[in-house]
Amino acid sequence: MLTVATFSKGFQRGLTTTWNLAKVIVPVYMIVTFLKYTPVMGIVAGFFEPLMHFFGLPGEASLVLVLGKLLNIYAALGAISSLELTGREITIIATMLLLSHSLPVESAVSGRTGVNAMLMTGFRLAISVISGLVLNLVL
Amino acid sequence: MDWIGYLSEALPGAGENVLMMAAIVIPVMIVLEVARDLKILDWIAQRMSPLMRFFRLSPQAAFPLLVGIIFGIAYGAGVLIEEARSGRLSWQDIFLINIFLSVCHAVVEDTALFMAVGANGLVILLGRFIAAILITYLISRTAWLQRENLRHGVPGAVKAAGGTGDNRC
Repeated sequence: MLTVATFSKGFQRGLTTTWNLAKVIVPVYMIVTFLKYTPVMGIVAGFFEPLMHFFGLPGEASLVLVLGKLLNIYAALGAISSLELTGREITIIATMLLLSHSLPVESAVSGRTGVNAMLMTGFRLAISVISGLVLNLVL
Repeated sequence: MDWIGYLSEALPGAGENVLMMAAIVIPVMIVLEVARDLKILDWIAQRMSPLMRFFRLSPQAAFPLLVGIIFGIAYGAGVLIEEARSGRLSWQDIFLINIFLSVCHAVVEDTALFMAVGANGLVILLGRFIAAILITYLISRTAWLQRENLRHGVPGAVKAAGGTGDNRC
């Protein structure tokens, strides 16, 4: 049954999610933009450039991948929007991250459901890498 | 260090980002609430038996799987735990749903958020579904899964092994 409560509940959940997003996106955006103003970004980008090349991504993208894998998707979103990336690059990063993210937390959760956490993490990292390689070829 | 340049880029940029996320997340959540109250997922779940057989899942697995795909793992897990307690799902069902959802969950929200920052929605959505379907299918066909499932006990198998005379299944 649809009532006014349905819509206000949805609105409320939207606000809560936005607030949770903002708490992560704002600091990450500020820090990544700050790094762009220092030599750190150039050093990190240069270091990961050869590896990122396999996925058709610039060196800076390594930062987005690390944030997404270790923290969560929200942090990755904050980093993506503070970097200048093309639509193609963002699509590749998005797929790689959506297939595996927040690995420490999610592995702990899947561990509790009786699935081997290490196996699951390795497995999700593998499909993430494969998807990056494939998308770089087909897109 | 150009502090003025930094702040005049970072502050409006961060604010703009949050507003954009709000513009996407709030409508998405309202649509999801509407879908939930209209019980659209129950309706779809009842029509998913052929797909469930493809993954060697029981028909009862369709609902928790759908909830996880659309709303996210937190909701999917809630339904999953309820169903598991009621004994309607086998160990194999729960394991395979976990595998599928670990790759593909909360697709509405995630896809919308990445589209907002410039990703191609169709590619990221299809990419996830293809990966999840492929992996779940492959794992559902392994001898390892069959062995584990027997070890954890198939519902009904216990009764059959108990010598009630009803061994025909």
